[in-house]
Amino acid sequence: MSKTLRFAHLYPDLLNLYADRGNIRTLVNRCRWRGVDVTVDEIPRGTSVDLDRYHFILLGGGSDREQELVGETLRAAKPEWKAAVEAGLPLLAVCGGYQLLGAFYQLPDGRKVPGLGLLDLVTVAEEPRLIGNIAIATDLAGIVMGFENHGGRTTHHHEPLGTVRKGHGNNGRDGQEGVLYKNVIGTYIHGPLLPKNPRLADDVLARALEYAEIPAELTPLDDTVEEMARQAFMTRRILAH
Amino acid sequence: MGSVALLLGVWIGKLVARILKLAGRNATSLPGKLALRLSPRLLHRLGQQLERCIVVTGTNGKTTTNRLLAAMLGKDMDIVSNREGANMEQGLVAALLQRTSWFGRLQCKTAVLEVDEATLPLVARDLPIRVAVVTNVFRDQLDRYGELDSTLQKLLKGLAQTQATLVLNGDDPLARHIGLHYAGHSLYYGLAANEAQPLARQQTRDGAFCLDCGHRLEYDGFFYGQLGIYHCPNCDFYRPQPEFEGVLAGRDLVLRQATLPEQRFSLPVRGLFNIYNALGAIAAARVCGLETRTIAAGLADFTAPVGRMQPYPTSPETILNLIKNPTGCDGVLQSISAEPGGKILLIAINDLAADGRDVSWLWDADFELVPEEMNAVHVVLSGFRGEDMALRLKYAGYPAQHMTVQPELDAAVDAALDQARALGLTVHVLVTYTALYPMAGILKGRSRIRVENPAVRPSVS
Repeated sequence: MSKTLRFAHLYPDLLNLYADRGNIRTLVNRCRWRGVDVTVDEIPRGTSVDLDRYHFILLGGGSDREQELVGETLRAAKPEWKAAVEAGLPLLAVCGGYQLLGAFYQLPDGRKVPGLGLLDLVTVAEEPRLIGNIAIATDLAGIVMGFENHGGRTTHHHEPLGTVRKGHGNNGRDGQEGVLYKNVIGTYIHGPLLPKNPRLADDVLARALEYAEIPAELTPLDDTVEEMARQAFMTRRILAH
Repeated sequence: MGSVALLLGVWIGKLVARILKLAGRNATSLPGKLALRLSPRLLHRLGQQLERCIVVTGTNGKTTTNRLLAAMLGKDMDIVSNREGANMEQGLVAALLQRTSWFGRLQCKTAVLEVDEATLPLVARDLPIRVAVVTNVFRDQLDRYGELDSTLQKLLKGLAQTQATLVLNGDDPLARHIGLHYAGHSLYYGLAANEAQPLARQQTRDGAFCLDCGHRLEYDGFFYGQLGIYHCPNCDFYRPQPEFEGVLAGRDLVLRQATLPEQRFSLPVRGLFNIYNALGAIAAARVCGLETRTIAAGLADFTAPVGRMQPYPTSPETILNLIKNPTGCDGVLQSISAEPGGKILLIAINDLAADGRDVSWLWDADFELVPEEMNAVHVVLSGFRGEDMALRLKYAGYPAQHMTVQPELDAAVDAALDQARALGLTVHVLVTYTALYPMAGILKGRSRIRVENPAVRPSVS
């Protein structure tokens, strides 16, 4: 197995509001613990990304201002993004990154920041912010848990990542959270998302390996610490409240 | 003055404070909270009686800076101050009530108050704020304030309601932004440019972009976090030449101020973040007209607030530290790493409102230092989110077999002390805000046991 899995973390200098580095660290560690070679490129702001080079892309969250800056850079390569996503490029987009996947993000002042338009998805900022612990039921990875903090209400016509058990989700109305389209996962859940949701992390890795055509097997890992953190969080912060 | 509602609030507040103190409890906030319930305008009514108020705000270093400044000003005049760091409206009221008579008369004319960033716009009109220190603006408690931009907006909104002279950390681009968008007078403090270092480790830098035009800031050198010698390559945004410039000289700080002769101060605090706190306090004291002598006397009088590298004579010794956001936490982790020899760590993470309910900041802090540079032999994790902290350390590369999770603080202290005793090591305790006072109480209790009767071990929680 000589081929290396290549990840790109987009604009961590702008989009790392909710510790999105933790997501990359989780994926990288779970590769290395299994002997899978992996490299990560941090793509600095203002730089376009060569999508053909990568097997997985992380787009994190930023403040409204930062998100607007990123949107400008991304939109310059809209057709390339569209083609890559349709071809199955695995992409994890969190919070602000999630909103950028859609047609637009409407700011509190009514201005519409155009997104990448990869998905049939729109976001409108509203008061109050939706803040708190969240747990959702997913087909991909069982219960997915974490923290949400967003002013945007997102609606879309794709499959959601999961259904809300506790918390607000996409818009606080339809009981849905996130989006799943081909190998694109969008979500408002951070905490960061992947460390406490190892099944979801492995699902993302499986998609990346398949897309990279690397025949590695994801051998089971010792997730005792992960399970302990999940149990404690569910008991104290989801079921008890 | 003298309305029944006002007096009722004063009485209840003072009574509750007295009862709490008799019970040996922390009375920095609750008396104010209850007093405000009866007299919602109490802060305004008390604030009216002040001649001047000096406030300290910003993300990190508020409590230490405020305490240093109070120690200096206290040498020159009669002051009232919230020294323990209760910095929301109820805390401000509780502090003022300590010096308020049963007839509702405030007995001193000067207040030195640490004020929470989000509280500032709510109280700015109630206090005669003449000088306002902004220590820095880092990422802190995002879930309480939304996002960083809104923290800045709250500070600007609060300051705009005053006619204060601002004393700003000019090395912080976000504090500089405040100075540029404030209509009144601003003065800056900062470290001498030749003290700046090239960036060694990857750290969070919230201010790394120009808030005026969006370009990436360029740095000629860093002090810590986003603090450094910055400029925007695209517009006029740059680090100002500070009016109060600090130069490090061993454990002393040399102050350069305009054409005045250099003044040398012996500092009662350690660590770069504390040097900034001292420099900010000295600058503010200067703005208030204090002489070098008075400032030096105040520094000599200073006692460190709870949880800032605070030692307890337990067996073996414990050192208590407050952590609440990535930059502050990194400073603490670096200080511990700089101590020689092996250590036992106890990290207690809570996620109550005052801690910030979102613990994702743990992943922005440089906990990689624990396996890489700290020589931590064993780590005990505690608090409501101790398990999340264990997970963070696992992904930082710390071996799971050297970690113990014990959600109860009491039992966690026992576990850490047992480990430390066996190896003769110091325990470094890191706690979030709501675990601070309970932990301080437990460590104080354990200290007594060693001195009085090691065989008896009463519960102290």
